[in-house]
Amino acid sequence: MDYFRVIWTVARKDLLIEMRTRERVAAMGSFVVLVGVLFNYSIDTAIVRPQEIAPGIIWMTIIFGGLLGMGRTFHLEEEDGAFSGVLQTPIPLDALYLGKTAANLVILSLVTVLIFIVFSVFFGLSFGSHPFVLLTVVFLALIGFVGLSTLFSAMSVRTTMGESLLPVLVFPLLIPMVIFGVSATSRLFAGRPVSEVTGSVRMLGAFAILSVAAGALLFRYVVEE
Amino acid sequence: MTKIIRTCLLAAAILAISSPELSAQGTDLASQTLGRAYWHVFAAYAIGWILVLGWVISIARRLVSVEQAMKGN
Amino acid sequence: MSQDRLRQTGVALAVLGTLGALLVLWMVFFWVPTERTMGIAQRIFYVHVPSAWIAFFAFGIVALCSAVYLWLKDERLDMAALAAAEGGMVFCTIMILTGPLWARVSWGTWWTWEPRLVLTLLLWFIYFSYFLVRNATENPEQGKRFAAVVGIIGVLDIPLIHISVTWMRSLHPEPVVLKPEGPSLDPEMLITLMVGLATATMLFLGLFLMRYTVECLKREVDQRQTGAQAAQGA
Repeated sequence: MDYFRVIWTVARKDLLIEMRTRERVAAMGSFVVLVGVLFNYSIDTAIVRPQEIAPGIIWMTIIFGGLLGMGRTFHLEEEDGAFSGVLQTPIPLDALYLGKTAANLVILSLVTVLIFIVFSVFFGLSFGSHPFVLLTVVFLALIGFVGLSTLFSAMSVRTTMGESLLPVLVFPLLIPMVIFGVSATSRLFAGRPVSEVTGSVRMLGAFAILSVAAGALLFRYVVEE
Repeated sequence: MTKIIRTCLLAAAILAISSPELSAQGTDLASQTLGRAYWHVFAAYAIGWILVLGWVISIARRLVSVEQAMKGN
Repeated sequence: MSQDRLRQTGVALAVLGTLGALLVLWMVFFWVPTERTMGIAQRIFYVHVPSAWIAFFAFGIVALCSAVYLWLKDERLDMAALAAAEGGMVFCTIMILTGPLWARVSWGTWWTWEPRLVLTLLLWFIYFSYFLVRNATENPEQGKRFAAVVGIIGVLDIPLIHISVTWMRSLHPEPVVLKPEGPSLDPEMLITLMVGLATATMLFLGLFLMRYTVECLKREVDQRQTGAQAAQGA
Protein backbone atom coordinates (compact mmCIF):
# COMPACT_ATOMS: atom_id res chain seq x y z
CA MET A 1 0.00 0.00 0.00
CA ASP A 2 2.96 2.24 0.65
CA TYR A 3 3.77 2.13 -3.04
CA PHE A 4 0.43 3.63 -4.05
CA ARG A 5 0.75 6.27 -1.34
CA VAL A 6 4.03 7.37 -2.91
CA ILE A 7 2.40 7.63 -6.33
CA TRP A 8 -0.47 9.59 -4.87
CA THR A 9 1.81 11.94 -2.93
CA VAL A 10 3.94 12.72 -5.95
CA ALA A 11 0.95 13.24 -8.22
CA ARG A 12 -0.81 15.37 -5.63
CA LYS A 13 2.25 17.56 -5.14
CA ASP A 14 2.58 18.16 -8.87
CA LEU A 15 -1.10 18.91 -9.31
CA LEU A 16 -1.06 21.25 -6.32
CA ILE A 17 1.86 23.18 -7.78
CA GLU A 18 0.07 23.31 -11.11
CA MET A 19 -3.14 24.53 -9.45
CA ARG A 20 -1.29 27.32 -7.69
CA THR A 21 0.96 28.47 -10.54
CA ARG A 22 -1.15 27.39 -13.55
CA GLU A 23 2.04 27.69 -15.58
CA ARG A 24 1.79 24.67 -17.81
CA VAL A 25 -1.98 24.68 -18.21
CA ALA A 26 -1.88 28.35 -19.19
CA ALA A 27 0.84 27.77 -21.77
CA MET A 28 -0.80 24.70 -23.26
CA GLY A 29 -4.31 26.16 -23.08
CA SER A 30 -3.42 29.34 -24.94
CA PHE A 31 -1.42 27.26 -27.39
CA VAL A 32 -4.41 25.12 -28.37
CA VAL A 33 -6.82 28.04 -28.68
CA LEU A 34 -4.36 29.91 -30.88
CA VAL A 35 -3.74 26.80 -32.97
CA GLY A 36 -7.50 26.70 -33.55
CA VAL A 37 -7.40 30.29 -34.80
CA LEU A 38 -4.36 29.67 -37.02
CA PHE A 39 -5.93 26.49 -38.32
CA ASN A 40 -8.97 28.45 -39.42
CA TYR A 41 -6.82 30.63 -41.66
CA SER A 42 -4.57 27.82 -42.85
CA ILE A 43 -7.38 26.06 -44.71
CA ASP A 44 -9.78 27.31 -47.30
CA THR A 45 -13.13 26.18 -45.90
CA ALA A 46 -14.70 26.64 -49.32
CA ILE A 47 -12.55 23.79 -50.65
CA VAL A 48 -11.78 21.60 -47.63
CA ARG A 49 -14.36 20.71 -45.06
CA PRO A 50 -12.91 21.05 -41.53
CA GLN A 51 -14.81 17.95 -40.45
CA GLU A 52 -12.71 15.83 -42.81
CA ILE A 53 -9.27 16.92 -41.65
CA ALA A 54 -10.20 17.67 -38.05
CA PRO A 55 -9.01 14.32 -36.59
CA GLY A 56 -5.49 14.83 -37.90
CA ILE A 57 -5.34 18.43 -36.73
CA ILE A 58 -6.71 17.52 -33.31
CA TRP A 59 -4.04 14.84 -32.84
CA MET A 60 -1.25 17.09 -33.98
CA THR A 61 -2.46 19.77 -31.58
CA ILE A 62 -2.52 17.24 -28.73
CA ILE A 63 1.04 16.16 -29.52
CA PHE A 64 2.59 19.59 -30.03
CA GLY A 65 0.67 21.27 -27.22
CA GLY A 66 1.21 18.28 -24.95
CA LEU A 67 4.94 18.18 -25.53
CA LEU A 68 5.07 21.87 -24.69
CA GLY A 69 3.89 21.14 -21.18
CA MET A 70 5.41 17.69 -20.72
CA GLY A 71 8.87 19.08 -21.40
CA ARG A 72 8.62 21.05 -18.18
CA THR A 73 7.74 18.07 -15.99
CA PHE A 74 11.07 18.05 -14.20
CA HIS A 75 11.97 21.67 -14.62
CA LEU A 76 11.24 22.71 -11.05
CA GLU A 77 13.20 19.82 -9.58
CA GLU A 78 16.17 20.39 -11.82
CA GLU A 79 16.34 24.15 -11.31
CA ASP A 80 16.65 24.12 -7.55
CA GLY A 81 18.65 20.95 -7.43
CA ALA A 82 15.69 19.58 -5.55
CA PHE A 83 15.88 16.32 -7.42
CA SER A 84 18.95 15.10 -5.56
CA GLY A 85 16.87 15.52 -2.41
CA VAL A 86 14.04 13.48 -3.90
CA LEU A 87 16.52 10.81 -4.96
CA GLN A 88 17.86 10.51 -1.41
CA THR A 89 14.45 9.70 0.02
CA PRO A 90 13.91 5.94 0.20
CA ILE A 91 11.02 5.83 -2.28
CA PRO A 92 10.99 3.45 -5.23
CA LEU A 93 11.89 5.41 -8.35
CA ASP A 94 9.28 3.71 -10.51
CA ALA A 95 6.62 4.96 -8.10
CA LEU A 96 8.02 8.44 -8.54
CA TYR A 97 7.76 8.01 -12.30
CA LEU A 98 4.19 6.72 -12.08
CA GLY A 99 3.21 9.64 -9.87
CA LYS A 100 4.71 12.14 -12.30
CA THR A 101 3.01 10.36 -15.19
CA ALA A 102 -0.35 10.40 -13.41
CA ALA A 103 -0.11 14.13 -12.75
CA ASN A 104 0.87 14.76 -16.36
CA LEU A 105 -2.04 12.62 -17.52
CA VAL A 106 -4.51 14.69 -15.53
CA ILE A 107 -3.10 17.95 -16.87
CA LEU A 108 -3.00 16.73 -20.45
CA SER A 109 -6.54 15.34 -20.19
CA LEU A 110 -7.77 18.80 -19.20
CA VAL A 111 -5.97 20.33 -22.15
CA THR A 112 -7.40 17.68 -24.47
CA VAL A 113 -10.92 18.42 -23.29
CA LEU A 114 -10.20 22.06 -24.06
CA ILE A 115 -8.96 21.10 -27.53
CA PHE A 116 -12.17 19.23 -28.28
CA ILE A 117 -14.31 22.10 -26.99
CA VAL A 118 -12.35 24.72 -28.95
CA PHE A 119 -12.45 22.78 -32.18
CA SER A 120 -16.12 21.94 -31.91
CA VAL A 121 -17.01 25.57 -31.20
CA PHE A 122 -14.75 27.01 -33.90
CA PHE A 123 -15.57 24.57 -36.64
CA GLY A 124 -18.91 23.07 -35.66
CA LEU A 125 -17.54 19.53 -35.72
CA SER A 126 -19.65 16.52 -34.93
CA PHE A 127 -17.88 13.91 -32.83
CA GLY A 128 -20.01 10.96 -33.89
CA SER A 129 -22.48 9.03 -31.83
CA HIS A 130 -20.15 6.98 -29.62
CA PRO A 131 -18.78 9.37 -26.99
CA PHE A 132 -17.54 6.59 -24.71
CA VAL A 133 -15.60 4.82 -27.42
CA LEU A 134 -14.07 8.15 -28.43
CA LEU A 135 -13.19 8.78 -24.80
CA THR A 136 -11.50 5.37 -24.55
CA VAL A 137 -9.50 5.97 -27.73
CA VAL A 138 -8.28 9.38 -26.63
CA PHE A 139 -7.56 8.31 -23.08
CA LEU A 140 -5.51 5.24 -24.08
CA ALA A 141 -3.51 7.31 -26.53
CA LEU A 142 -2.88 9.95 -23.89
CA ILE A 143 -1.59 7.32 -21.46
CA GLY A 144 0.93 6.12 -24.02
CA PHE A 145 1.95 9.63 -24.96
CA VAL A 146 2.36 10.78 -21.37
CA GLY A 147 4.27 7.62 -20.45
CA LEU A 148 6.89 8.21 -23.13
CA SER A 149 7.14 11.96 -22.82
CA THR A 150 7.52 11.89 -19.02
CA LEU A 151 10.43 9.49 -19.32
CA PHE A 152 12.11 11.50 -22.06
CA SER A 153 11.50 14.84 -20.38
CA ALA A 154 13.44 13.51 -17.38
CA MET A 155 16.19 12.79 -19.88
CA SER A 156 16.08 15.99 -21.92
CA VAL A 157 16.06 18.27 -18.88
CA ARG A 158 19.46 16.88 -17.93
CA THR A 159 21.03 17.35 -21.33
CA THR A 160 22.65 20.46 -22.69
CA MET A 161 20.06 20.61 -25.47
CA GLY A 162 17.13 20.78 -23.07
CA GLU A 163 13.58 20.62 -24.35
CA SER A 164 14.57 21.00 -27.98
CA LEU A 165 15.73 17.40 -27.81
CA LEU A 166 12.29 16.13 -26.86
CA PRO A 167 10.60 16.07 -30.30
CA VAL A 168 13.52 14.18 -31.87
CA LEU A 169 13.34 11.58 -29.13
CA VAL A 170 9.58 11.21 -28.88
CA PHE A 171 8.14 11.74 -32.37
CA PRO A 172 9.51 8.59 -34.02
CA LEU A 173 8.09 6.53 -31.17
CA LEU A 174 4.65 8.15 -31.40
CA ILE A 175 3.82 6.75 -34.85
CA PRO A 176 1.58 3.95 -33.49
CA MET A 177 -0.40 6.46 -31.45
CA VAL A 178 -0.86 8.83 -34.39
CA ILE A 179 -1.82 6.14 -36.89
CA PHE A 180 -4.31 4.28 -34.72
CA GLY A 181 -5.58 7.38 -32.94
CA VAL A 182 -6.27 9.28 -36.14
CA SER A 183 -7.79 6.28 -37.87
CA ALA A 184 -10.12 5.53 -34.95
CA THR A 185 -11.22 9.13 -34.44
CA SER A 186 -11.82 9.76 -38.13
CA ARG A 187 -14.00 6.67 -38.30
CA LEU A 188 -15.91 7.70 -35.20
CA PHE A 189 -16.31 11.28 -36.48
CA ALA A 190 -17.65 9.89 -39.73
CA GLY A 191 -20.25 7.88 -37.84
CA ARG A 192 -18.86 4.43 -38.73
CA PRO A 193 -19.82 1.47 -36.52
CA VAL A 194 -17.77 0.73 -33.40
CA SER A 195 -16.63 -2.65 -34.77
CA GLU A 196 -14.37 -0.78 -37.20
CA VAL A 197 -12.31 0.75 -34.41
CA THR A 198 -11.90 -2.13 -31.96
CA GLY A 199 -8.58 -3.11 -33.57
CA SER A 200 -7.25 0.40 -33.14
CA VAL A 201 -8.39 0.51 -29.53
CA ARG A 202 -6.54 -2.71 -28.84
CA MET A 203 -3.35 -1.41 -30.44
CA LEU A 204 -3.61 1.84 -28.51
CA GLY A 205 -3.98 -0.20 -25.34
CA ALA A 206 -0.83 -2.16 -26.20
CA PHE A 207 0.98 1.11 -26.88
CA ALA A 208 -0.16 2.56 -23.55
CA ILE A 209 0.89 -0.50 -21.55
CA LEU A 210 4.21 -0.75 -23.35
CA SER A 211 5.20 2.86 -22.87
CA VAL A 212 4.22 3.08 -19.22
CA ALA A 213 5.88 -0.25 -18.39
CA ALA A 214 9.06 0.66 -20.25
CA GLY A 215 9.06 4.06 -18.58
CA ALA A 216 8.65 2.62 -15.10
CA LEU A 217 11.39 0.10 -15.79
CA LEU A 218 13.92 2.48 -17.30
CA PHE A 219 13.23 5.66 -15.30
CA ARG A 220 15.76 4.80 -12.61
CA TYR A 221 18.59 4.67 -15.15
CA VAL A 222 17.66 8.11 -16.41
CA VAL A 223 17.61 9.86 -13.05
CA GLU A 224 20.34 8.08 -11.10
CA GLU A 225 23.38 10.26 -10.48
CA MET B 1 29.97 10.10 -34.22
CA THR B 2 29.30 13.63 -35.42
CA LYS B 3 31.61 12.86 -38.32
CA ILE B 4 29.47 9.94 -39.34
CA ILE B 5 26.34 12.00 -39.14
CA ARG B 6 28.03 14.72 -41.16
CA THR B 7 29.06 12.23 -43.81
CA CYS B 8 25.54 10.86 -44.05
CA LEU B 9 24.05 14.34 -44.35
CA LEU B 10 26.61 15.25 -47.00
CA ALA B 11 25.73 12.16 -49.01
CA ALA B 12 22.05 13.02 -48.75
CA ALA B 13 22.76 16.57 -49.91
CA ILE B 14 24.78 15.36 -52.90
CA LEU B 15 21.99 13.00 -53.84
CA ALA B 16 19.41 15.74 -53.58
CA ILE B 17 21.47 18.12 -55.72
CA SER B 18 22.35 15.60 -58.39
CA SER B 19 18.92 14.03 -58.81
CA PRO B 20 17.17 16.62 -61.03
CA GLU B 21 20.10 16.46 -63.42
CA LEU B 22 19.79 12.71 -63.68
CA SER B 23 16.06 12.76 -64.29
CA ALA B 24 16.45 15.40 -67.01
CA GLN B 25 18.82 13.31 -69.10
CA GLY B 26 17.74 12.16 -72.56
CA THR B 27 14.52 12.86 -74.40
CA ASP B 28 13.75 9.51 -76.00
CA LEU B 29 11.62 7.56 -73.52
CA ALA B 30 13.29 4.18 -74.00
CA SER B 31 16.84 5.46 -73.80
CA GLN B 32 15.83 7.68 -70.91
CA THR B 33 14.57 4.86 -68.73
CA LEU B 34 17.51 2.65 -69.64
CA GLY B 35 20.10 5.39 -69.09
CA ARG B 36 18.51 6.58 -65.93
CA ALA B 37 18.23 3.07 -64.54
CA TYR B 38 21.97 2.55 -65.06
CA TRP B 39 22.70 5.88 -63.48
CA HIS B 40 20.68 4.91 -60.47
CA VAL B 41 22.43 1.56 -60.10
CA PHE B 42 25.84 3.27 -60.29
CA ALA B 43 24.74 5.88 -57.80
CA ALA B 44 23.42 3.22 -55.41
CA TYR B 45 26.67 1.26 -55.35
CA ALA B 46 28.71 4.45 -55.16
CA ILE B 47 26.71 5.51 -52.12
CA GLY B 48 27.34 2.15 -50.49
CA TRP B 49 31.09 2.30 -51.09
CA ILE B 50 31.43 5.94 -50.11
CA LEU B 51 29.57 5.59 -46.85
CA VAL B 52 31.44 2.47 -45.78
CA LEU B 53 34.68 4.17 -46.76
CA GLY B 54 33.64 7.16 -44.68
CA TRP B 55 33.20 4.91 -41.68
CA VAL B 56 36.63 3.33 -42.28
CA ILE B 57 38.23 6.76 -42.48
CA SER B 58 36.53 7.91 -39.29
CA ILE B 59 37.79 4.79 -37.49
CA ALA B 60 41.30 5.35 -38.84
CA ARG B 61 41.31 8.99 -37.74
CA ARG B 62 40.21 8.04 -34.26
CA LEU B 63 42.96 5.43 -34.12
CA VAL B 64 45.55 8.00 -35.18
CA SER B 65 44.43 10.51 -32.57
CA VAL B 66 44.44 7.83 -29.86
CA GLU B 67 47.94 6.73 -30.85
CA GLN B 68 49.14 10.32 -30.72
CA ALA B 69 47.66 10.73 -27.27
CA MET B 70 49.42 7.53 -26.18
CA LYS B 71 52.78 8.81 -27.47
CA GLY B 72 52.21 12.12 -25.75
CA ASN B 73 51.92 10.39 -22.39
CA MET C 1 39.94 -12.87 -26.64
CA SER C 2 42.58 -10.25 -26.16
CA GLN C 3 42.27 -6.86 -27.82
CA ASP C 4 45.01 -7.65 -30.32
CA ARG C 5 43.25 -10.80 -31.41
CA LEU C 6 39.99 -8.88 -31.73
CA ARG C 7 41.63 -6.25 -33.88
CA GLN C 8 43.30 -8.87 -36.07
CA THR C 9 39.97 -10.65 -36.53
CA GLY C 10 38.35 -7.33 -37.36
CA VAL C 11 40.95 -6.46 -39.97
CA ALA C 12 40.75 -9.91 -41.50
CA LEU C 13 36.95 -9.76 -41.71
CA ALA C 14 37.07 -6.26 -43.17
CA VAL C 15 39.55 -7.35 -45.85
CA LEU C 16 37.38 -10.35 -46.70
CA GLY C 17 34.37 -8.05 -46.79
CA THR C 18 36.12 -5.67 -49.16
CA LEU C 19 37.03 -8.55 -51.49
CA GLY C 20 33.42 -9.71 -51.25
CA ALA C 21 32.19 -6.24 -52.11
CA LEU C 22 34.36 -6.24 -55.25
CA LEU C 23 32.93 -9.65 -56.13
CA VAL C 24 29.41 -8.30 -55.63
CA LEU C 25 30.18 -5.39 -57.95
CA TRP C 26 31.37 -7.78 -60.63
CA MET C 27 28.35 -10.06 -60.17
CA VAL C 28 25.89 -7.18 -60.24
CA PHE C 29 27.26 -5.50 -63.33
CA PHE C 30 28.42 -8.47 -65.42
CA TRP C 31 26.93 -11.71 -64.22
CA VAL C 32 23.44 -11.57 -62.77
CA PRO C 33 20.54 -11.60 -65.28
CA THR C 34 18.27 -8.58 -65.60
CA GLU C 35 14.92 -8.86 -63.90
CA ARG C 36 12.03 -8.97 -66.37
CA THR C 37 9.52 -6.50 -64.93
CA MET C 38 11.67 -4.15 -62.86
CA GLY C 39 14.58 -4.01 -65.30
CA ILE C 40 18.08 -2.83 -64.58
CA ALA C 41 17.16 -0.85 -61.49
CA GLN C 42 16.42 -4.13 -59.74
CA ARG C 43 20.20 -4.55 -59.46
CA ILE C 44 20.06 -2.04 -56.61
CA PHE C 45 18.43 -4.89 -54.69
CA TYR C 46 21.85 -6.45 -53.99
CA VAL C 47 23.06 -3.46 -52.00
CA HIS C 48 19.68 -2.38 -50.63
CA VAL C 49 18.62 -5.64 -48.99
CA PRO C 50 22.00 -6.46 -47.36
CA SER C 51 22.20 -2.96 -45.86
CA ALA C 52 18.65 -3.35 -44.58
CA TRP C 53 19.64 -6.60 -42.91
CA ILE C 54 22.67 -4.98 -41.28
CA ALA C 55 20.70 -1.92 -40.15
CA PHE C 56 18.27 -4.09 -38.20
CA PHE C 57 20.85 -6.64 -37.07
CA ALA C 58 23.03 -3.84 -35.70
CA PHE C 59 20.11 -2.34 -33.86
CA GLY C 60 19.52 -5.73 -32.27
CA ILE C 61 23.10 -5.67 -31.00
CA VAL C 62 22.66 -2.09 -29.77
CA ALA C 63 19.51 -2.96 -27.83
CA LEU C 64 20.89 -6.17 -26.37
CA CYS C 65 24.17 -4.60 -25.28
CA SER C 66 22.31 -1.56 -23.90
CA ALA C 67 19.99 -3.70 -21.81
CA VAL C 68 22.82 -5.76 -20.36
CA TYR C 69 24.89 -2.60 -19.87
CA LEU C 70 22.23 -1.05 -17.68
CA TRP C 71 22.10 -4.26 -15.72
CA LEU C 72 25.80 -5.11 -15.30
CA LYS C 73 27.32 -1.64 -15.84
CA ASP C 74 30.16 -3.21 -17.83
CA GLU C 75 31.97 -0.58 -19.87
CA ARG C 76 32.68 -3.06 -22.68
CA LEU C 77 28.98 -3.47 -23.41
CA ASP C 78 28.55 0.25 -23.87
CA MET C 79 31.50 0.34 -26.26
CA ALA C 80 30.03 -2.56 -28.25
CA ALA C 81 26.64 -0.82 -28.42
CA LEU C 82 28.31 2.38 -29.60
CA ALA C 83 30.32 0.58 -32.28
CA ALA C 84 27.26 -1.32 -33.49
CA ALA C 85 25.16 1.86 -33.56
CA GLU C 86 27.72 3.62 -35.73
CA GLY C 87 27.79 0.77 -38.20
CA GLY C 88 24.03 0.43 -38.09
CA MET C 89 23.62 4.08 -38.88
CA VAL C 90 26.00 3.82 -41.84
CA PHE C 91 24.12 0.88 -43.32
CA CYS C 92 20.73 2.40 -42.49
CA THR C 93 21.78 5.49 -44.44
CA ILE C 94 22.85 3.32 -47.37
CA MET C 95 19.48 1.60 -47.31
CA ILE C 96 17.53 4.87 -47.11
CA LEU C 97 19.50 6.48 -49.94
CA THR C 98 19.46 3.48 -52.29
CA GLY C 99 15.75 2.78 -51.76
CA PRO C 100 14.51 6.00 -53.43
CA LEU C 101 16.97 5.48 -56.32
CA TRP C 102 15.31 2.17 -57.03
CA ALA C 103 11.82 3.45 -56.34
CA ARG C 104 12.26 6.37 -58.75
CA VAL C 105 12.82 3.95 -61.62
CA SER C 106 10.42 1.15 -60.66
CA TRP C 107 7.55 3.09 -59.14
CA GLY C 108 8.20 6.49 -60.73
CA THR C 109 8.44 8.29 -57.42
CA TRP C 110 11.26 9.02 -55.01
CA TRP C 111 9.22 8.47 -51.93
CA THR C 112 5.99 6.74 -51.06
CA TRP C 113 4.41 6.16 -47.68
CA GLU C 114 5.22 2.53 -47.91
CA PRO C 115 5.49 0.77 -44.53
CA ARG C 116 9.02 -0.54 -44.75
CA LEU C 117 10.26 2.79 -46.07
CA VAL C 118 8.69 4.64 -43.18
CA LEU C 119 9.97 2.09 -40.69
CA THR C 120 13.54 2.47 -41.88
CA LEU C 121 13.32 6.24 -41.84
CA LEU C 122 12.14 6.07 -38.24
CA LEU C 123 14.89 3.57 -37.43
CA TRP C 124 17.36 6.13 -38.79
CA PHE C 125 15.94 8.77 -36.49
CA ILE C 126 16.11 6.43 -33.50
CA TYR C 127 19.80 5.85 -34.30
CA PHE C 128 20.18 9.60 -34.67
CA SER C 129 18.69 10.31 -31.24
CA TYR C 130 20.91 7.57 -29.81
CA PHE C 131 23.95 9.65 -30.75
CA LEU C 132 22.27 12.92 -29.92
CA VAL C 133 21.60 12.06 -26.26
CA ARG C 134 25.00 10.46 -25.89
CA ASN C 135 26.75 13.70 -26.81
CA ALA C 136 24.35 16.14 -25.17
CA THR C 137 25.22 15.49 -21.54
CA GLU C 138 27.90 17.05 -19.40
CA ASN C 139 28.52 13.81 -17.55
CA PRO C 140 29.56 11.10 -20.04
CA GLU C 141 28.33 8.31 -17.76
CA GLN C 142 24.86 9.81 -17.92
CA GLY C 143 25.10 10.04 -21.70
CA LYS C 144 25.85 6.33 -21.90
CA ARG C 145 22.82 5.50 -19.78
CA PHE C 146 20.57 7.82 -21.77
CA ALA C 147 21.72 6.26 -25.02
CA ALA C 148 21.08 2.79 -23.62
CA VAL C 149 17.55 3.80 -22.63
CA VAL C 150 16.91 5.13 -26.15
CA GLY C 151 18.20 1.86 -27.60
CA ILE C 152 15.91 -0.24 -25.43
CA ILE C 153 12.80 1.87 -25.98
CA GLY C 154 13.58 1.86 -29.69
CA VAL C 155 13.69 -1.91 -29.91
CA LEU C 156 10.45 -2.20 -27.91
CA ASP C 157 8.66 0.32 -30.09
CA ILE C 158 9.92 -0.87 -33.48
CA PRO C 159 7.57 -3.92 -33.64
CA LEU C 160 4.66 -1.63 -32.80
CA ILE C 161 5.73 0.89 -35.42
CA HIS C 162 6.03 -1.98 -37.88
CA ILE C 163 2.51 -3.21 -37.14
CA SER C 164 1.06 0.27 -37.40
CA VAL C 165 2.73 1.24 -40.66
CA THR C 166 1.99 -2.09 -42.38
CA TRP C 167 -1.60 -1.57 -41.46
CA MET C 168 -1.97 0.37 -44.67
CA ARG C 169 -1.72 -1.15 -48.11
CA SER C 170 1.76 -2.12 -49.14
CA LEU C 171 3.42 -1.24 -52.45
CA HIS C 172 6.80 -2.75 -51.64
CA PRO C 173 7.81 -5.96 -53.42
CA GLU C 174 6.48 -8.92 -51.51
CA PRO C 175 9.04 -11.07 -49.72
CA VAL C 176 10.85 -13.08 -52.39
CA VAL C 177 13.35 -15.06 -50.36
CA LEU C 178 11.88 -15.90 -46.97
CA LYS C 179 8.54 -17.44 -47.73
CA PRO C 180 7.02 -20.87 -47.13
CA GLU C 181 7.16 -22.12 -50.75
CA GLY C 182 10.87 -21.43 -50.95
CA PRO C 183 12.61 -18.57 -52.70
CA SER C 184 11.08 -17.43 -55.99
CA LEU C 185 14.23 -15.70 -57.14
CA ASP C 186 16.24 -16.91 -60.07
CA PRO C 187 19.14 -19.06 -58.72
CA GLU C 188 21.74 -16.63 -60.03
CA MET C 189 19.96 -13.73 -58.38
CA LEU C 190 19.71 -15.69 -55.16
CA ILE C 191 23.44 -16.44 -55.22
CA THR C 192 24.23 -12.76 -55.80
CA LEU C 193 21.96 -11.79 -52.94
CA MET C 194 23.57 -14.34 -50.63
CA VAL C 195 27.05 -13.11 -51.53
CA GLY C 196 25.82 -9.58 -50.89
CA LEU C 197 24.43 -10.52 -47.50
CA ALA C 198 27.59 -12.39 -46.50
CA THR C 199 29.73 -9.47 -47.67
CA ALA C 200 27.76 -6.88 -45.78
CA THR C 201 27.84 -9.02 -42.63
CA MET C 202 31.60 -9.52 -42.84
CA LEU C 203 32.24 -5.86 -43.56
CA PHE C 204 30.02 -4.82 -40.68
CA LEU C 205 31.48 -7.28 -38.19
CA GLY C 206 35.04 -6.48 -39.22
CA LEU C 207 34.63 -2.73 -38.96
CA PHE C 208 32.57 -3.18 -35.79
CA LEU C 209 35.45 -5.03 -34.13
CA MET C 210 37.95 -2.42 -35.30
CA ARG C 211 35.78 0.42 -34.03
CA TYR C 212 35.32 -1.43 -30.75
CA THR C 213 39.04 -1.88 -30.15
CA VAL C 214 39.71 1.76 -31.04
CA GLU C 215 37.10 2.79 -28.51
CA CYS C 216 38.77 0.52 -25.91
CA LEU C 217 42.10 2.25 -26.53
CA LYS C 218 40.52 5.68 -26.44
CA ARG C 219 38.90 5.08 -23.06
CA GLU C 220 42.11 3.65 -21.68
CA VAL C 221 43.95 6.80 -22.74
CA ASP C 222 41.22 9.03 -21.35
CA GLN C 223 41.35 7.20 -18.05
CA ARG C 224 45.10 7.50 -17.86
CA GLN C 225 44.89 11.20 -18.59
CA THR C 226 42.27 11.86 -15.93
CA GLY C 227 44.32 9.71 -13.55
CA ALA C 228 47.44 11.77 -14.28
CA GLN C 229 45.49 14.98 -13.81
CA ALA C 230 44.13 13.77 -10.50
CA ALA C 231 47.65 12.83 -9.39
CA GLN C 232 48.93 16.25 -10.36
CA GLY C 233 46.09 17.98 -8.57
CA ALA C 234 46.76 15.99 -5.39
